[in-house]
Amino acid sequence: MIEFGPENLRIPKFARPVYIVAGGLTDFRKRYPEKTSEELVAEAMNMAVLENDLLVGMEELKRRVNFCVYSQFADHFGDQLLAATKMHDALGLDPLGNFEIKTGGATGGSAVLAGAMAVASGYADLVPVIGWERMDEVPTRQGNAYIASAACKNFESELGWMYASYYALMAQRYQHEHKVPRETLARIAVKNHLYACFSPYSQSPMRLTVKEVLSNAIVSDPLSFLECCVMSTGAAVLLLASEEMAHRLTRFPIKLTAICSGTHTLRTADRRNMPVLRLPHEPEELYSQYPHDWPGFSSFLATRMAAYLAFNMAGIRDPLEDLDLLETHDAFTISDIQSYEDLGLRPYGRGREFIESGEAYYEGRLPTNLSGGLIGTMHAVGATGIFQIAEVFWQLQGKWAQFHADPKLWRRFGKKKPRDFRDLQVKNARRGAAVSHAGTGSHVTVAVLEKE
Amino acid sequence: MARLSSRGVRLHKKGLELLQPEPRVVKIAKDYFHIHTYGGFTPFFAGLLKKKLMATRCANRACKEKRLFLPPRPHCPDCLLPMKWVAAPLEGTIYTHTTILYPGAPFKLTTPCPLISVELPGVCTRMMSYLKRGTPYIGMKVRAVFNTAKPTHSILDLAFEPVEPA
Ligand SMILES: [Zn+2]
Repeated sequence: MIEFGPENLRIPKFARPVYIVAGGLTDFRKRYPEKTSEELVAEAMNMAVLENDLLVGMEELKRRVNFCVYSQFADHFGDQLLAATKMHDALGLDPLGNFEIKTGGATGGSAVLAGAMAVASGYADLVPVIGWERMDEVPTRQGNAYIASAACKNFESELGWMYASYYALMAQRYQHEHKVPRETLARIAVKNHLYACFSPYSQSPMRLTVKEVLSNAIVSDPLSFLECCVMSTGAAVLLLASEEMAHRLTRFPIKLTAICSGTHTLRTADRRNMPVLRLPHEPEELYSQYPHDWPGFSSFLATRMAAYLAFNMAGIRDPLEDLDLLETHDAFTISDIQSYEDLGLRPYGRGREFIESGEAYYEGRLPTNLSGGLIGTMHAVGATGIFQIAEVFWQLQGKWAQFHADPKLWRRFGKKKPRDFRDLQVKNARRGAAVSHAGTGSHVTVAVLEKE
Repeated sequence: MARLSSRGVRLHKKGLELLQPEPRVVKIAKDYFHIHTYGGFTPFFAGLLKKKLMATRCANRACKEKRLFLPPRPHCPDCLLPMKWVAAPLEGTIYTHTTILYPGAPFKLTTPCPLISVELPGVCTRMMSYLKRGTPYIGMKVRAVFNTAKPTHSILDLAFEPVEPA
């Protein structure tokens, strides 16, 4: 059982404010033999610097960079150690300092956290955070084995070599405790594949029905293929800056008001029960009679911990009230339902209502994964957390259309903008959050962005 | 050093093969092994060959966690003192389950494979394993069985089966 000491729940502080000034993406593909990882990273960097209405060009921007953070999940996939060094060279940023961050599926979020720490502490004024993953060098079954190398090699990996199975174990337990209908899980897959249809970057745009998801082949019961994230190759970049630097670079900076992290055991098996860590808006009596294990296999302590810190840091009292949009790490439909509860969008056991009520949809109360998420658009792991924050950043700038609706962008990636294209810009969006998540909940970051 | 493969591209003995000329894509063969130690977990893996489920308990009287850990731990995660090895009960219940249909590449069991998490009395954790026969359900009573005939020296030497006879 975990007991917090008096300092364990100290709310983090930035010594000075941190801003996001630009974002850049490549498109995401299952196989991308046309480009090396260096080319993908350069492409995302070019978009960040040249297409975000910055007040300076590439040469001038590079002259202002102090430090870089690189984000790649698995050296196994790219089969290249010290790959970040190649990226740094390819981007012409030597001899500036850098490091590469690794926290599994949450690598992107952790890399942004590291970049934010550099800016907030005064160590640097302008920090590019650069993420990518090249998951196409091996067949899918080997790719799944590489991902399952992020389970415990002594006690777990041999049991399936498949992360979907480890989530399926949680799904069965969650359904046993909370009886979430399969249809509700399927609706998450339908929603995110659909929103991916309006993203030029997306790998798995699909117009599906709940019935089609439910009749799809099962990977590991109850999860079907359409309920699992894609395996992608691609890159994402964010530029973080101090207040003064941000205003020298752009007229539309967005404040990163919080980014906080939490962790939990690598093996789900090792979780011990504890009292629910309550968010600011959850009264004490809410969980005094909670009949199930917590976190058990149905909740993510790491997400709850990161949300607790980030919401307190950003002054968010009720996330459903105070946020205008959200990007979750929808690696699997079940983990999305679990995360809604960990984020406090519904009390534990009632996460399904967030989907069933329509609140999670465009024009709903808190539109979630308008980017298409990991199920519909991408999971090039090292790029994922950065991609999510870039999507929230553009929404808060009011520039969603600029980065999704331009037919030239679709043509750049060899695609045609669909005839039934929908504008997913959230009107008057002021505050958004993004969740980056690893393992079966081993690392999670929650970021809060705000338009001033 | 090189010979032509049946597809007319050069196959190198060192394991590089041209798959596609434009953009140029090559196939790199890999074949190697790791020498992995179970270190302080050795009593657990040695125990499997003796049909025992070896767990650990904190030996520190002041430590609040009195229950067993399985997977075991050489050091207590709460007080960090060395733990004591204890044989865990072999019968428990299924906490959750799934049946794998599409496993990752190195999977050595057959599919469909019922994966389970098991709750054992007095153990504070819920170990992952698989069900050797029967259809799993939450609350099913199960008993540990051990592969001692042709051991793999991995976690696959442990499985569970229903307590009720087949
Ligand atoms: Zn102890």
